[in-house]
Amino acid sequence: MIVGARISALMMIATLAAALVLTLIPVPPVVASARPAFYTMTVLFWIANQPYRFGLLAAWVAGLMIDIVYGTPLAEHGLAMAVAAYGMIKIREWLWGLPLIQQTILLAPVLLVYEFVLFWIDGVAGLNVDPWYRWLPVVSSALLWPAWAYLLERIARVEIRRSR
Amino acid sequence: MKIEDDNNNHALTRRIAPGLGIVMIAIISIGLMIVDDAGEKLSPVRDVLSVMAQPIEMAAEWPGQTLTTLDRYFDRGALLRENERLRQNNLLLQGRLQRLAALEAENERIRALLASASVLDQNVLIARIMSVSPDPYRQYVKLNKGSTDGVFVGQALIDAHGIMGQVTDVTPLGSRAILISDPNNGVPVEINRTGLQTIAQGTGHAETLTLPFLPNNADVEVGDLLVSSGLGGRYPADYPVAKITSVRHRPGGEFLDVDAAPTAELERGREALLIWSTPEPAEDIASSEETSSPDDGSAEENDDAEADRP
Repeated sequence: MIVGARISALMMIATLAAALVLTLIPVPPVVASARPAFYTMTVLFWIANQPYRFGLLAAWVAGLMIDIVYGTPLAEHGLAMAVAAYGMIKIREWLWGLPLIQQTILLAPVLLVYEFVLFWIDGVAGLNVDPWYRWLPVVSSALLWPAWAYLLERIARVEIRRSR
Repeated sequence: MKIEDDNNNHALTRRIAPGLGIVMIAIISIGLMIVDDAGEKLSPVRDVLSVMAQPIEMAAEWPGQTLTTLDRYFDRGALLRENERLRQNNLLLQGRLQRLAALEAENERIRALLASASVLDQNVLIARIMSVSPDPYRQYVKLNKGSTDGVFVGQALIDAHGIMGQVTDVTPLGSRAILISDPNNGVPVEINRTGLQTIAQGTGHAETLTLPFLPNNADVEVGDLLVSSGLGGRYPADYPVAKITSVRHRPGGEFLDVDAAPTAELERGREALLIWSTPEPAEDIASSEETSSPDDGSAEENDDAEADRP
């Protein structure tokens, strides 16, 4: 992973927007409950890849966008995203040294934390949802991470080459 | 692995230790959630952000819409069949409508005799369903009509087969409606056959509602139609809501386990009708709007409070 090279904010926003579109495309309910968290993965990727330019605050704002499109109480997903980002900041130095496949194992707990914060807030708010569905995206996201991170890395590399 | 330091562009969060940052964000977030849940104070923030999110939502709609358009373009036979079916349907409805006009007039006369207010004047607006909830744990739809079209919070949404839900958020160009199958939503209903009043609660699954408050001796059978009772002032009265699919008697339980299937096509329809009903006693409804305004955001029916109202 090439870490810290200067990626323009525009590029990061564009990838986040694309991931958000993938999160929103209507699919049958069965697929929807197992849909990988593209958006969360993208935020976490930039946290790891751009330690100087994409931090907790950016992750929080990115999470707020989810609250807007989902119509959940403002800052619910914001908080979950920031907590996951904090986890990512803690593990990213190990992550840098690992091949993509092995990163999956480190990443799964971070994704689990993200879902858990949402689960917990829903519980406090008295929303009872089938908890079983909650954990499916963790599995599918972790499995998809190598491919998704590879794609984002390619995009980042093109951007670096272009800016030189 | 290569780390390039970028000295002249440190983000704000790098200067604050992440541990401190996360604590601050958590406090701000919890504060925001409480304020947002409590009422309307954050709606300007929401409006601005939702306008920013609009292009993204439109982009997400695009593949599905393109497929439908292409499908229509290439499949002329289906189009013709659909046209034929709609034509027949239209004829049928026109026929019924003729009878309805007479019945409506008769009803009006009888109501006049009873000296009660007329309720039959209802305006409708056709709204396109832009998307269903991407969150599998919440049941709502987004509509392409907003406050510029006169849509308001609390407005009821129906389709050709029954009640779908009610509007919970309105932005200038769109709105969001919670469906009757959302676990947070309850519809005051009555069993059409017997007139028994109860509440149909969402379960989170589009095909199932549950009726948690029917006592063991309630007269309810599989196949009974539930229609809205109009109590609570949110949903207009006498629209079909659901059909009973199962009645189980749990030994030792005080209430029956009753499930019902919504008659409206909650996750399949493309269009829905927003209705403006002229409510019966106007000031009564206004006061119920006031009492229920604190939880407008969560769109919960104030069931216990309002169902008792005469």
